[in-house]
This record gives sequence, structure tokens and C-alpha cells, in this order.
Amino acid sequence: MLVKRRTREAAQGGRLAQVAAGLSAKPLDRRSFLRASGLTVGGLAALGSIGGGLTRRAEAGPTDHSQDIEIRKNICTHCSVGCTVTAEVQNGVWVGQEPSWYSPINRGTHCAKGASVREIVHGDRRLKYPMKKVGGEWQRISWEQAIEEVGDKLLEIRERSGADSVYWLGSAKFSNEGAYLMRKMAAFWGTNNVDHQARICHSTTVAGVANTWGYGAQTNSYNDIRNSKTMIFMGSNAAEAHPVSLQHILEGKEVNRANVIVFDPRFTRTAAHATEYVRFRPGTDIAVINGLLWHIFENGWEDTEYLSQRVWGMDQIREAVKAYPPEVVENISWIPGDTLRRVAEIFATQKPSTFIWCMGGTQHTVGTANVRAYNNLLLATGNVGKEGTGANIFRGHCNVQGATDLGLDVGNLPLYYGLSEGAWRHWSRVWDVPYDYFVSRFDEVPGKGGRDPRTAEQNMEVPGITSTRWFDAVMIDAEEVDQRDNIKAMFVMGHGGNTVPRMQDAQRGMNALDLLVVADPHPTTFAALHSRTDNTYLLPICTQFEVDGSRTASNRSLQWGQKIVEPIFESDNDFAVMYRLSVKLGFGEEMFKNFEMIEGKFGVYPSAESILREINRGGWSTGYTGQSPERLKAHMANQQHFDLVTLRAGPDAPEEVRDDYYGLPWPCWGTPEFRHPGSHILYNTGLEPIRGGGAFRPRFGLERDGQTLLAEGSWPVGSEIEDGYPEFTMALLRQLGWDADLTADELAWIERIGDGDEDRINAVSWSTDLSGGIQRVALEHGCVPYGNGKARAVAWNLPDPIPVHREPIYSPRPDLVNDYPTLEDRRQQRMPNIGRSVQMAGVENRVHENFPIILTSGRLVEFEGGGEETRSNPWLAELQQDMFVEINTRDADARGIVDGGWVWVTGAEGGSRARVKALVTERVSPGLAFMPFHFAGWFQGEDQRGNYPEGADPIVLGESVNVITTYGYDPVTGMHEGKTTLCQIEAA
Amino acid sequence: MARMKFLCDADRCIECNACVTACKNEHEVPWGINRRRVVTINDGLPGERSVSMACMHCTDAPCAAVCPVACFYTTDDAVVLHNKDTCIGCGYCSYACPFGAPQYPQMANFGTRGKMDKCTYCSGGPEADLSTAEYQKYGANRLAEGKLPLCAEMCSTKALLAGDGDIIAEIYRERVVTRGYGSGAWGWRTAYGDTVNV
Amino acid sequence: MRQPITRLALGAAGLFATAFAALAQVNPTANSVQEGALMEALQSGQSVTGRISIPDSGASVLIDPSGRTWASLHTGTLQWITIIAVLGMLALLVAFYLYRGRVRVEAGFSGRKILRFNIIDRFAHWLLATTFIILALTGLNLILGRALLLPLIGEGAFGTLSAWGKIAHNYLAWPFMAALIMVFVLWVAHNIPNRLDLEWIKQAGGLLQKNVHPPARKFNAGQKIIFWSVIIGGALLSWTGIMLLFPGEAGPGTGWQFYQVIHAVVSAVMVAIILAHIYIGSLGMEGAFDAMGNGEVDENWAREHHSLWVEEKLGRDAAKSPPPRARATPAE
Repeated sequence: MLVKRRTREAAQGGRLAQVAAGLSAKPLDRRSFLRASGLTVGGLAALGSIGGGLTRRAEAGPTDHSQDIEIRKNICTHCSVGCTVTAEVQNGVWVGQEPSWYSPINRGTHCAKGASVREIVHGDRRLKYPMKKVGGEWQRISWEQAIEEVGDKLLEIRERSGADSVYWLGSAKFSNEGAYLMRKMAAFWGTNNVDHQARICHSTTVAGVANTWGYGAQTNSYNDIRNSKTMIFMGSNAAEAHPVSLQHILEGKEVNRANVIVFDPRFTRTAAHATEYVRFRPGTDIAVINGLLWHIFENGWEDTEYLSQRVWGMDQIREAVKAYPPEVVENISWIPGDTLRRVAEIFATQKPSTFIWCMGGTQHTVGTANVRAYNNLLLATGNVGKEGTGANIFRGHCNVQGATDLGLDVGNLPLYYGLSEGAWRHWSRVWDVPYDYFVSRFDEVPGKGGRDPRTAEQNMEVPGITSTRWFDAVMIDAEEVDQRDNIKAMFVMGHGGNTVPRMQDAQRGMNALDLLVVADPHPTTFAALHSRTDNTYLLPICTQFEVDGSRTASNRSLQWGQKIVEPIFESDNDFAVMYRLSVKLGFGEEMFKNFEMIEGKFGVYPSAESILREINRGGWSTGYTGQSPERLKAHMANQQHFDLVTLRAGPDAPEEVRDDYYGLPWPCWGTPEFRHPGSHILYNTGLEPIRGGGAFRPRFGLERDGQTLLAEGSWPVGSEIEDGYPEFTMALLRQLGWDADLTADELAWIERIGDGDEDRINAVSWSTDLSGGIQRVALEHGCVPYGNGKARAVAWNLPDPIPVHREPIYSPRPDLVNDYPTLEDRRQQRMPNIGRSVQMAGVENRVHENFPIILTSGRLVEFEGGGEETRSNPWLAELQQDMFVEINTRDADARGIVDGGWVWVTGAEGGSRARVKALVTERVSPGLAFMPFHFAGWFQGEDQRGNYPEGADPIVLGESVNVITTYGYDPVTGMHEGKTTLCQIEAA
Repeated sequence: MARMKFLCDADRCIECNACVTACKNEHEVPWGINRRRVVTINDGLPGERSVSMACMHCTDAPCAAVCPVACFYTTDDAVVLHNKDTCIGCGYCSYACPFGAPQYPQMANFGTRGKMDKCTYCSGGPEADLSTAEYQKYGANRLAEGKLPLCAEMCSTKALLAGDGDIIAEIYRERVVTRGYGSGAWGWRTAYGDTVNV
Repeated sequence: MRQPITRLALGAAGLFATAFAALAQVNPTANSVQEGALMEALQSGQSVTGRISIPDSGASVLIDPSGRTWASLHTGTLQWITIIAVLGMLALLVAFYLYRGRVRVEAGFSGRKILRFNIIDRFAHWLLATTFIILALTGLNLILGRALLLPLIGEGAFGTLSAWGKIAHNYLAWPFMAALIMVFVLWVAHNIPNRLDLEWIKQAGGLLQKNVHPPARKFNAGQKIIFWSVIIGGALLSWTGIMLLFPGEAGPGTGWQFYQVIHAVVSAVMVAIILAHIYIGSLGMEGAFDAMGNGEVDENWAREHHSLWVEEKLGRDAAKSPPPRARATPAE
């Protein structure tokens, strides 16, 4: 069978062999490889024909088998599954990629993107050195000059328009440490205008789920789906978006003969492997779910014991879904009643059942309500908190969970502490910086537009502008934006500019900015969409393969990525760039004082380990405290000891990882020394909390409408409190007499945090106690630190406490808009949301008549996100060379459109149009079109290749779907409407 | 000796194209050459299945039969390889191949296709095992290192199986029994004259 | 931009193409398309085809069993046709030689020359002839070289030879075709069949007996047969050859295979015909080579084989005058 590569061959061959090998291993460039392999003519000619010409600066040659190979492990930088990447490195060059057999997550496998990541650190389409635009031309500059000029301009803008006029747009591609650093940097700069891609992928999930049962994350894991008997995918095309997860899903399907039910407007690659495919109209999820609940309650399929013990408010849901009988749901959603009944029965009775959703559910004006509806379906059937059940939320980018956790968010400090004074004080303590320092950094906001003025202290607690609206905040009347001034500068790290709708407006916004800085391995749409001539900078950042750091997969497991090679060209890592910029901006020394500084390419930078240790010191609320760099590295080194299904290291595992769950999925309570194993399944009462069990988190008060919000008759096994209980505070410990279990050290910390004041000492809780003592004591008594509460079926603090169907802003069914209107216009995150006005105008102007086709969007397996990185990788780019629109055969025939022919897709706003290829297919139904969202570089028929710096243009360019997509924002999170709009298609 | 084969389990294949890019990665295959590809049958319809296809390393390989210069040879592992030094780029093998395996830098006129390139089952060519010359002409030689083709090793859902024909047939057979259905061992009858009986 | 792929799997697609909106329950697992069913539903010559994202329509063909059919045709029947054609014709010629010996100028050489083919005629002929010979040899090499030549000269030399042979074959096809057109234009007027040809054929051109000389104009029926064989065969070879040179025009693999088979069969026949032509134009007939050698033939040769042409050429009287000086030394 398989024999691993021998690394001793050099020694065996002796000296002469080494000399000979040295001779034969002359560096081999691509051209000579091609020549030698007889592939020269076509290979290069073909590359030439796609523009730009690919010539490589330096090419990794073949593996030299006479020399030692060093194996380094990192994590794939694409989706959230968290596949381990095993790199073979020789002489500092990444020469080969091997299967990572031992990773319990991917077991050696990859998708197209993961199998081609090696190219990323060779790719000559990367940004090679800092650049700036001078009179419309890109010019090479040095790092010193770049930092100097960008810093000066930022300070000048701050002086003129305030700290809030600089927008810090971060990335889900950051490591945890990078994400944390950027959030910390925004805090030191003095703004909450800091965001990242979670806004546009799962912000509504986080809001919806956290508001239901406590934490905004996947409750179970990809691996755990192997235990499911029934799975519903709704708005998730996992086969293309999370291909490696299908390994677990399909094996689970086979072994358990599980039901795989796919709800999707489009017959996807995932649907092809379903046992039942249900087509429905985009944007009608709530009607569908309420329709399912109607059947469940009608037939008594709900889990009454579970509901009485662990859920609050389901009776109100039971009443509310009476408005969704089968005929109503069919009228709204296209789904026949008997189909819905069959699915409801299977889901409710063939348990354990899991519900999987993705951006098909979240990217809507009703995104948060959609998520809440999904949760209610799970709760009603008792499918949360056990193996094989749960809300298996498949997140998007490789570290979007981690970046969300670490507070790259307009409404949170790291680890969901919020923006309250308590939160600021907590982090001030962790950062060892006076609270008042931050107050001094924030703007005072004058009273504008009839709104109250805000002090700096108040402004600190007001969520910033969401990334979906940044360009509105640039362009809108200054009266309308609830901060000192409009957005004047964008500092964009690792974030595409083609990922939110209304790109015509985004282009105007880019043109109007005083300063635009793009820090990225590739020039993104932010670098190319606009016609800016000056004050535009490109900073080459290396990928996560060129720096150490941890990342959190969708299942909350943290994995340590090892630097594989040094940053290529003149690129540098996130930490270094943020450090140098912070120093320039005047707060670097203060911000970085707790970190160990190590030598890098262009000076010192903070080590990832020391940043993670600071996160460990402050991340109590979410259990980010136990995952020390040492433990994470031990997990990576001992992957083979973790079980495929339970993710647990068995008794044979080395002591350092024994009994741990792989990657210490958060919450991993207490200090690293406490050795909490992490929590594979959230809210699992079948396991002692100290061994990874939990309960729903009571974070919405203790009672509502005279009913308790604490669990009744349900507690994690081994609990010394055999009932519900609130979160642990010093006061509760004292009440229970458990404060005696605190060590002297822990007590001293708690007293320090309480400033010696009794009330404040009593108020020190599991989430603010920096010693971890309160968590430790609670856990040792079998209790969950955050308490044991009920999940909420009704979230009274949300605009729609009970999810109700609301028509999309641009509805193909204007007759339904009256009965199911979108929410009234409102202000949110410092901006107006005029969704209702837009919807009414659409109905009045009969938009649906001129734009009769519903347009939805989604993902291709070969590309990711805005796509610059993947479209620059020839191994991937070759597989999808043209932007396209999927159109049904019948619609195509009616329009004289042929498969592969050029078409114009026109949108409902601003005369938007896109020239793309037609893909005539039955995947979409008549009246529905689909476009992938990874393309950019063409804008309404214009080829913008010339806007990219020479040699850094992606190989494949195409129109962006978000030129066509339209207005619409979730009232809770500002999530855009990316999945339902109207369009027209005609042959070009 | 083992009789190496490929088997694509169409009920597992999700057209993720990992096999395609793994191949590109391992052998640095240039643009336009697709040693492996994934084809979706009945696309968009409920019968849809995707199948990953490359050289199947046929028994009595038709490419070898028609090659006017006899540049093909079969290894002890039953892998069908060819010698690029002898190949004249006539294209006959590509017309004989039932699976579209042979690739050329271009399918251009005047027969200027260049030397044929195809899946080597990650086992190089006639040059010395693991030599630079071998890598330059044919790509990596994983078999010589005791490894199997990377496409199969990296297949996201373990749909694509590589290894001894009897073993992978047994794996597939067990799967079909477990799940109660199967779509057949695609291409086996054409390549090997037999199929996996379940 | 090549054609993107729209074709669904042939045959079996119908089994699944039912608009599934109409289905009460859509179970893609139970409906999954089986290879066996698809293959059985295929008619011969069809392929299992699907959709693929790369812009190479050929790549969307998943399985095309016709490749094996063509391969067995190529390695069996076509080789035998070629061998039989070549060896068969050689055997015929040997038999003919043994039976008839060299066809002499029975009246002996007169020493008087008549211009039969001018320089343009001869250029066209020789261009056609040389390119044909190289094309034939390099073509035969592709069919038979592996069996006959490879064992003799070894893999390296054979590979090099074949590589050059392929290049020669591809590029010399163009002068061959040019010459073919020239020959056609120059000589077609002389090659319209007429009644005389029947008589000539009835007498087998006098080739089988001595002292039989059916009348003929510039081209006798035998030459006309060669002419039209060359024109028709050459045109077929050109057309199929162009298709093979421009595979994009030939359509999918089965098209290319069709053209290749036609090309190979016609080539075999043509090689056989031309072998006969070469024999009779050189060794087989005294005085014949001169026609394409220096273009001038002996008058007596001409009288024996092209009596009517000589009459036209010299005028009726001169033609009827007795043959001059018998048994002269051959012109060469």
C-alpha cells in the first residue's frame, strides 16, 4: 500500500548523487517546461489569447527528490469548511501539495480551489509592490512612502471631517489575529465604521440565531451531519459553495439512508444529490417555513416536551402560522401543499433532523426573519442541541466566523461584547489602556436632521455604517448621515468592491472619495471600477499562506495555519502593515505594547501567537480563552487522533490533546490550563458542560410576559443545579456559596475588576472576569457559565418578532405587495433605509412588466467571493472563462437567445445593464434567471482591464451581477438583497 | 502486480473540479491542456450526474493500437503511458480514444498539434523515475513514490477512486450495497470490457 | 469562440427530460441517470455527451465508443486493404511482365521526334508525381511503417523519420493539389471519353498482344483511365486530406474518423493505380518515358499508340507514310 515519501534519499545517494542532482535541478521556468514537454506553442498561445500574457518571474521547478522536503500545514484560504492544506517546501519554495489525510475535516480532500492554492503564492498576477495613482497612472512607490502618504492623508481627513469619516473595511480572509487587530485599530482610531464580509453573507444569520438561542454560529459541525437522518438545505448550494462538506453529507446520506431535501429556486448540483428537490420562488422562505410549521402543528408533529422545557413563545408561533395554510403558501411560493406536508412530516418525524442554510436564506431584506423562521422550525421539532440536529449554518469565507467573532463589525467589540460602556471598559482592561483614552479618540456628533447630538462617549456606543451602504454614506446629503460628516476615505483590506448591489452607485462613491486605499494580495474591484486619478493606493498584502495565524472554521473549530513561505514579491503581512500604519497614525506603541514583536521583511511585526494570547485573555463571552497557540498547534500536529464523527481525540491520543474536540470549537471555557475540550455541539444538554455540553443562553432577561425565560426541567447532565439558572456572576456564586471555590488569585482579579466596590464586584460575571475563575467554578459544579435558559421563538426586540412573509422590494407579484409589504422606511446604522418607498414606486411604475424575469445570484465552485484571487489563478480561471446568465430554455426560445450567445441583462434601477453569455438550461425555471457573483472587470459592456495595474489584472474578467441587483436592506443588519430582484434579458 | 484503474462514483461526484486542478497543480499542466475533466450528464434535470473523466488506462488500449509510431506502452501496473520523444502529434490516438483523453497544445490546422499529452496515472514516462527530465515531459511520478494519483487522493467526496481495480471495485460495491443504489462504473465496460457487478 | 455545449445526453435524455414541474415528487437520487441505460439507448456512432464549463466542445463528450470501432478498423481492415492493394498490383505487374515482357516499339525507333508534352505539361506532371510519391510513402508509413519499418531501423530513427514524414505529408499536400489542378486544366480536353475508347478497351489497348494497336488520339483510353483516376482519386484525397488538416471543419471525432477511412482506402487504390502507371510509363513500355522525359516521343512509338494524334500532329499524309528507319536505337 501507500508508502510515504522517503526524505533520506539524498543521504543514500551520497555526495556525487547530490552534485548530479544539483546539476539536473536547474531552476526551470515555465517556458522551458513547456518546451521540454512539447507543449510550447499552444500553451503560451492560449494564454496569450486570453490577454496580458502570462510570463512568470520565477517558477517553482519540480520537486527535487534528492533533497529533504519540509511539510508545513496551513488551512485553505477559500471557504469556511477549514480544509487542511499540506505543503511541501524545498529551499523556501512551495513545490507540492499533498493530501492532508489526517484532518478530520477534509481527510485529504479538496475542491477545485483548495487543490490549486499553491498557485496563489506563485501567481504573478499578485500585486508586487505598493503603488499609487498619479494623474490616472499607476506608479510604483516604496512602503515607507505609501505608509507616510496614506497616514498623512488619513490624519488630515480626521482633522477635517472626524474619525468617523474614515471607513475601515476589513476581511473574512484575515486570520483571527488580523481581524482582531483591525477591530482594535478602529477602536484606537476612534470609530465603529469597521466591517467585513460577514455583513454580506451571514450577518442576518448571526443576528437571527443569536437572538434565538444565544450565539451566532453553526450549532453543530460538518462532521456531525453524518448523524442526521433528515437534512434540509434551503438557500444552500453546498456542492458548489462547500464541496468538501458533501463528503460528510453524502456519506451520512448513504450510511443512514438519510433524507436530503433541497429547497432552492434553482436545480443545483446539491439538488442533484437530493432525495427530494423542491423548487420555490426566491424570497418566500418565511411563507415556506411557516407553511411547514402549519402542517407540523396541524398534525401534532411538534416536540412538546422539548418546547415546554427549552423554548419560550412557540404558542405565539403556532397562532401566527395559521395564516399560512397550504393554498396561501402555494400562491406565494409555488410549492404544492402535499409536497410541503410530506417534507414537514419527514423533517418532524424522521429525526435527528438538521437544517442547513446559506446566503440563499440570508441575503434578503427579510434575512434576519428568514433565519428566525428556520430556527423556529428546528425548535418546534426539537432539533437543536443534539447529535445529528441543529442549525448547520455553512459560512462563506475561510475565516468569516472568526472575523465575526473578533468583532470586525459595526456593532461589536471583539467576541460579541457589544458597544456598551461595559464592553469598552472590559476591552480597555484587556488592552491595558484607560477607557478615557478611547473616549478621547471618538467624534462628537452634532445634532443633524432633527436628531439629538451625541457626545463622544455616546458615539462610541452607536453602531457604525454597514459595508453595504458605504457608498451611500459618501454620496448622501450630509444631513442624512448620522455622524459628523460623510465617509471621505475607505481603507479596504481584503475586500472586493463587486460584492454588494448597486455598483453604479458604488462607482460614483469610489470616484467621490478623498482617499481610497486597497490593501490586498490582488487589485480588487476597488482598484479598478472607478475613474480616480489620484489619492488611490494599492498595498500588496500577502496571503494567509505567507504568515502564521489561526482561523475559525464554520463549525467554530480554530486551526493554526503555519507560514508556508515568506511573503512573495514586496508583499507583507496584515500584522506588519497595520503596525506600521498605527505607528504613523500615532497610536502604534500603545496598541501593540502587549505583543511580542518579531523581525519581518520590512521591520518588526507582532507575532500571531502573542495576539492570540491577548484574545485568550479577553474572549470570555464566547469561550475564545482556552485556545492557546500551543494547544492549537498540538491539534494540528495530532490530527490523526481525532474522530471523524465526534471530532474527539480518543484515549490513545497524546496527553496534550486527549479528549479535546478538534480545533477546540468555541466556547472553549476557562484558561488554556483549564483544558476545556471545546464544544462540538452547542446547547447540548446530553453532555457535562466541562466536557463540552451546554444549554440555551439566557441573554434576554429572566422573564417575559410573566413567563420564565429560564429552562424548566432541563439541564445539562451532571448539573448541580437541576433547573434553569441565569448567567454566573460573583453575586450568584456567593448566593450558591460557591465563591469559596475561587482561588486567591482569581478573587484578587475579580476584586480588581470591581474596583473594590461591592456592587461592582457582585456584577463581575463569567464574561468579564479576566481570571476565568467564575467560569471554572461554574463548570466544576456542572453548570454552564452563561446560564441555562430557553430559546426564544419570539424575538420581541426585532422589527418582526415573529417572522412573517414580506414581498421582495422588486416583486414579480405586485398583487401580493399590499398584503405582504416590506417594512416601513426607517433609519438604521446611521443611514436611512427607504425600502418601502422603493417597493411602492416599483409597484406603481409596473416594473415587473418591463422586467419580468426574477434574477437570483450565487456561487461557482471554481471562484470565490469577488473573485479576483481565483480569477487570477490560471488553473481555476480556465474552468470558467466567461460571465454568464442561466436562463430557462423556454425564456431563451421566446427571446431568440441561444446557448453560449451574448445577451444583455438589464436591471430595474438606473438603466443598469450587463453583457454576458447565455447559459440556456433547465436548472432555472421559466421566469427565473441566475448569475454568479464572482466576476468583475467589465462594467456595463466596457472592458476595464486597462484600469488594473499592468500585470496584476485577473486572467478572467466579466460583468458583475451586482451591477444589476437593486436596493433593499435587512432592517436589523443592513444585509443587502442579493438574491431577489427583477431583470430583462435580450440577445445582444 | 496491481491492475490500476480509475472509477468515478457518479452518485458522489459533485463536479467540484478538484480532480482537474489537483492535476494541474501536481504536474503544472498549462492552460488548454485538460488531462482530466468533469462532464455533467442531464445537466439541470433530476437525472443529473457528473462524471470525472481522464485516460482510463484501458485494457487493449485503442490509442496504443492506432499509434503509427508505437509510442505507447503499458507498465507493470497496467498504466498506459507514452513516449513524447517518439510521438509525432498525428492525433490518431485522440480519435481512437473513447474518453477524449489525449490532449494537444492546440487542435490546430496542418496537424501542428504538438506532442500529445495525457493523464499518466501520476506515473511519469519512460525517463528515469523521479528525474527532472521525466517531470518536465510528463509531470510528477507519484506511483514511484508509493502514492496514488492526486486527482483521486484529493477528490472532495471520494467519488473518484484510483488503485487496484479489484480493490476499488470492492469499495464501490460496498457503497452501492450500503446506500441501495448505484449509477454504474462509468466507462468500465468501454475501457476494461467488464463492469462492477453489484 | 467555440460552440458552447448544449447537447444533453443523447437517447436517454428523453427518459429524464420530462418537465419535472409536472412530477409530484422530484427525487433526483431515484431518478439518477445510469451509464448502462445511457449506453443501451445509444445508437451506434453516438456518444454520451453532457455539459462542461471549459470552452472545448469536444471535451463535453464523456464516452464515445466509436473510437474503439475506428481503432479496430484502422489497425485491421485498413492495413489489409493497403497491403492487398500494393502487393496485389505488384503481383499483377509481375505477371504482366512475365506474360508480355516489355512492350516494344514494334516498328523500331524512327529517330524522328514529335513533341508530345511541353515544359508546362511536364512540370505539372512531375510536380504531381513527386509529391504523390512522397505523400504515398509517408502515408504508407503511417499505416504500415510501425509493422514493417520500425523493427528494421529502431524506435529513435523511426520516430524522427515519421515526424519529418508527417510534416512532409502535411505541407506537400498543397503543391500536390496545385499540380492536380494544373493537370486537370491542361489535359481535361484530351480526356473526354469517346467512342474510340470503347474499341481501345475491347482490344485491351493492344497491351496483351503484339502488333495490335487500336487507334487513339493524344490520350488513349488507358491513359484516360489513369487521368480520371488521378483526378477523382486526387480530389477525394485532397478533400478528405483538407478535412484531416483542419479537424475543426471535420466536426466531432466521428467525422474525422470517416474522412480518415476514406483517405486511407482511396490512397491504397491510388497507390495501386499509380504503381501500374509508373510501370507502364517506364519499364513496361519502350519509348513511353520520353513523353514525360524530354517531352518528345519517337514517331513510331506515337504511331503505334496514338495514331490519330500523330495524324493530327503531322497532317494526314505524313502520318500515313511508312514508318521511317526501323529498329533505331532507343532515344535515351
